[in-house]
This record gives sequence, structure tokens and C-alpha cells, in this order.
Amino acid sequence: MVNALSCFIKKKLTEDEPIRDDDVERIGREIHAEVDAIFGRSLAIRELDTGSDNATEIEINNLTNPYYDAERFGITFVASPRHADVLLVTGAVTHNMAIAAKKTYDAMPAPKFVVAVGDEACTGGIFAGTYAVMGGVDKILPVDMKIPGNPPTPAEILAGLSALMKKARQN
Amino acid sequence: MTSSKGSTTGWIADIFEPVIPADGVRQGQGGEVYLPIGSTDFARTVTQLASHQFTLIGLVGIEGFGQGPGTSLLYIFEKLEHILILIADGDGTLPSIAKVFPSASWFERECRDGFGVEFKDAFDTRRLFLHETYPDNFHPLKKSFANAPITPKKDVTPADEYPFRKVSGDGVYQVPVGPVHAGIIEPGHFRFSVIGETIFNLEVRMFYKHRGIEKLAEGKETGQCLAVAEAVSGDESVANTTAFCMAAEQIAGVTVPERAWYIRTILLEMERITSHLGDQGGMLVDVGFPLGANQFSVLREDMMRQNAVFTGSRFLRGMIRIGGVVRDMPNEDLEFLASFLSMFRKRYQVGLKIVLSTTSVIDRFATTGVISRSLIQPLALSGPVARASGSTGDTRIQHPYGLYDRYRPAVRTLHDGDVLARFTVKAAEIVASLDLIEQLIKEMPAGPVVTDVAVRNGHSLALVESARGQNLCWLQVRNGRIERYKVRTASFCNWQAIGHAVLENILPDFPVINKSMNLSYAGTDL
Repeated sequence: MVNALSCFIKKKLTEDEPIRDDDVERIGREIHAEVDAIFGRSLAIRELDTGSDNATEIEINNLTNPYYDAERFGITFVASPRHADVLLVTGAVTHNMAIAAKKTYDAMPAPKFVVAVGDEACTGGIFAGTYAVMGGVDKILPVDMKIPGNPPTPAEILAGLSALMKKARQN
Repeated sequence: MTSSKGSTTGWIADIFEPVIPADGVRQGQGGEVYLPIGSTDFARTVTQLASHQFTLIGLVGIEGFGQGPGTSLLYIFEKLEHILILIADGDGTLPSIAKVFPSASWFERECRDGFGVEFKDAFDTRRLFLHETYPDNFHPLKKSFANAPITPKKDVTPADEYPFRKVSGDGVYQVPVGPVHAGIIEPGHFRFSVIGETIFNLEVRMFYKHRGIEKLAEGKETGQCLAVAEAVSGDESVANTTAFCMAAEQIAGVTVPERAWYIRTILLEMERITSHLGDQGGMLVDVGFPLGANQFSVLREDMMRQNAVFTGSRFLRGMIRIGGVVRDMPNEDLEFLASFLSMFRKRYQVGLKIVLSTTSVIDRFATTGVISRSLIQPLALSGPVARASGSTGDTRIQHPYGLYDRYRPAVRTLHDGDVLARFTVKAAEIVASLDLIEQLIKEMPAGPVVTDVAVRNGHSLALVESARGQNLCWLQVRNGRIERYKVRTASFCNWQAIGHAVLENILPDFPVINKSMNLSYAGTDL
């Protein structure tokens, strides 16, 4: 009894959460509502790098840091394409990654969505028309949403996912 | 900037006389020394350099550099503050030097893919950056190939598949991993041979992200190439654009205004802090310690937001230009940065204390993924990977550029070579960078931040110390346009140490070993 009481009186061990952005929270709530409605409360995302400069990966990774903590909104990053609803593709598609990219897409169960993240994934960016790349992701996969940026910020990526959810609901 | 490299080339004679005549020696615009060498003297010269503990840090193939239109090979050697570049003909008569300088193996394979140059008696003649679907006899860096989309092979037959090293024996089995990995990371293929959980052999296959950076730069005006340099590796944007601009400025023979170098140096060190924080957070994720990992990931997000406040880019992009920096930093922005960093420093120390006082973390870090000091010279390792294994090397000290001869960063060297040593070296480097930035802000002079740069023909070598280690840029400008842009990031060499670091470790420790080395795939694959 004493122990239980002291738990209430003692200083909390956890820290206050870092200050969050209103924009991110708003977009997050939108995503959460859509994910609940369409995807049965969980949106599984598989990330695929087909030739980025690694900045976009860093920003996608940042979605899991305590500032954004995207899992709160029903988004999970999964290890296998077989578990994924959405393929988040970064970078212009290189010849060296084309086969692996197609195999990754083929391994996903339908219905499935492809999102191109970053300028290079959207259009090929500065690499468009050169020998080593095929161009943007739409050269090899059906792209449902493009999120431009060099790289897009975590908030912009979330906004893009929110737009994808709305599009998915319309279909 | 070149004063510390010395104006005399007397040390060359000390090495070669009386064995090889060192006439024809000429000093380049970045302080590097060029020595043309005939094929008959080549092998002897290389052996001589090996016996003098030189390191092969780069190999540049280039067409039309010598008398004729043929391919020349520029072997870049480093010993302490000296840089020696041997110029040889890549006409197929040169022997492979990979047995004397193991770092040459990937360099030679890269030149073979790019230019079709053959090396006699090479033990590894597999393609490097051109994977299976590239057509045969395709060499993209040859001038006869104009950069345009190509038609890849439709089908890859089993005969076309990349032959990995075969390891066999009782209880040995293979674990292929990648190129698409479980986490949110870049693509690469790891072929593990394991006995039980213990790693017996690891072969790394890279270059899935080969985007043709070097060819892309060719024919562009230097000023148009900054976005290309930034795209080499996103989290080394400042380091690679600085190296590119240094080479271009050396060719043009201009001196960058002092205040511009203060701003550049602040950006370089902010980039180092941002990068190291990401590694430290990632290493803690990989040993399952989210309490510590979150401390660092919050700090890193704070740093990236500060980057955006300071420059408008979370990756500090768009600030470096040839001749200086794009815009001046108002003093109130600098004061804000200083106050941010002083708060940041206190919070960083708190996070570090949590980690280093947690026995389960130390237990996973210590003695894991040891890189032996004896690998540093043969593989041309650099950066925190080398400094955690006993190296005192740091490009900022050995080839000081900009302000580093006046503001020498504290270099931390440890000797254990394990994950813990790399974590600790990075922690020390973050603190040293904080010290440096604070001092630079205090002592920054007023003045212009950019100077006009006239177009001149020439070629030059620039070296910078990125967060990952030594990044090399060799640039040739002809008629105002880029003739050749060669990048070699620290990761290109450091990747070759991972096959050694993981030996006798268990497979589940691979992620933390990999993260502790912080290797850039994009910066290697180009």
C-alpha cells in the first residue's frame, strides 16, 4: 500500500514529450482517420531505394523519431514487401536496381500502392536521360502518388501519404 | 592553402634516387606532385612507394590527358602531408598492383568498367559498377560514348550472374542479404558464409545505385555542377561540394575570402555533427536500446532543424559555391547558432552519459567488429573507422584546407578498433566540432563572402575530411567545361574493411558493426 501510494507522489520517471508541430499533428490525425477507415487501422509501408543520394532515406527514417513518431498515426514500416500496402520508392531507377525493384513490387499483395519520394524518384531529376538510370519510378512501376523535394521534409512526406489515403478512398 | 604542403619537391628525390630518375616532376595547383612514369619503371616505382609506406588513395582514369587520345591512369599516393600522383599509360601493359596495394583492386575494376583498361595479372577481373544488365564492351567514361539512355540486356542468364567467392566445408552455409534490406537503408548485397551463427566470410557487392555521377558532370560548366556534387551522398553534401569548389578554385587560381571559409568551416563541422548523431542513434537502435537511441535521434532532429534555420536546408545544401558561399550569414544568425549549440552540448553530454553508463550497451559494443590497425594502410581506410583503430590521420591536419591550419581540430585516436571505439571517437569528434564552431563564430572577421572566378583550363586535386573520412575530388576543366570529375569518397575504401570487421562475429551483430562504420552506399556507387 505504501509502495502504491509513493508511486503517485514520486516524480515521474518519464520526460515530457518534445514540442510537436501543429502541422504534423494535423496531418497525422488525417492519416490516422483514413488508415482506420480504409486499411483496417494499420498502413504497412515498405521503403525501396532505387538510386537515391541517401538524403531521402534519412528523412523517411526521421519519421520514426520522437518528434514525428509516425507509428502513432497507424503507419508501420515493415521489413518485407509481402507485408506491405505501400511501396515508398526513392531515387531515380538505376539499371542495377531495376530487377530488384520489380521483384519487390511483385512480392507485394494486392491492393498495393506505389509512392515516389523525392525529385529523382518523381522524374529522374538531374539524372534523367543519362546512361545509368531508366528515369523516374513510373518507368517501371505504376505510381499512385509523387512527393517531390530534394529531399522532401518528413512533414511533406506525411502530407503526401495523407493525399494518397484520400485518393485511395475515392477509388 | 598550399603553404603547408611545401613548395619543394625534394622529398621525391629522397625516395627515388638513385633507383628511378625522378625527372619530369611537376607540382600541381593543389600542391600535389605529378610524376610521369613509363611502363618499364612502373612496377619498381610502385614497390618503392610501398616500402616507403605510401597509401594508394585513388586511381583516376582519363582520356586525352597525355600526348595522344589514349587513356592515362593517375595513381594517387599519400604519405602524411605528401601527395604523389604517378601518370602512366593505360594501354594494357601495366600490371595490376592489387597485390602490393590491396586498395587498388576496386580502383582497377572501376577503371576497367569505365574505360575498358586491362591490368596484367589482375586476380579479380569481375565487373564492378556495371552489373549484369549492362551490355558487353560498354565503357561509359570513354569520350566516344555520349551520355544517353542505353538499352540494357533483357534477360540475365545464370552464366551472366555475378560469381561470388565460394566458401564450402562441413556446416558452412550461405546467407544472402539484399540488395533490398529489412530496414530503411540503401541497397547492397551481402553474401555471408556462416558456421552456426558465426560469420566465416562476407563478400560485399555494391554499386546497385550507380547513377553515373562522373559522366553526368562532364561537359557541364563548373558552376552548374554543384547539384551533381551534392548528389554524390546526401549527408556529405557540404563536404563534396567543398571539395569540388576547392578543386575548381585551385584551377582558377583564386583565393576564397576569409569570411567565406569561416562559414564553410562552420557548415562542414555542422554536417559532421549531424552525421555522427545519426550513427550513434542507429548503433543504439541496433543493440536494442531505445532509451539511448531516442536521446540521439531527438538531438539529431534538433540539429537538422537548426541546419534548416541557418541555411534553409536540413542537409545544409545550396550554400557552397565556387569562389565562396552563396550568401553571408548575419551576425544574429551566428549568435543564435552559438546559443543553440551551447544548449545542445549540455543535452548531448546527458545522452552520452546514459549510454556509456549502461552495461548492456557496453557489452554489445566492446570487442565487437574489430578492425585491425594493419588494415588501414593496405585498404586506405580513413575517418573515424581508421581513428578508432589507431590511426592519427585526419585530412584536416595532414592537408589543411581553408582555416584548418589555424583552427586545428582535436583528433581522438583509440586503439581497440571495435564498435565501442568507433562510438567513442565519434562522441569526441562531436565535442571537438562544437568547440571549433564556437571558436569560429567568436573570431569571424567581417568582409566579402565570395570572389569572382575567371574560367581557366587546368586540373587539380582536392581532399577534404567528411564525417566519414577522406573524400577526394580530382577535376579537369577544358574550355570552361568539365572534362573529368573523379570522386572517391571515404566509404569507397572503408567498405572493403567490413568483410574483415565481421569475421568471427555473430550474424546478429552485423547491423551494429555496419552502422558503426557508417558507410555511404550512394557515395560509393556514384
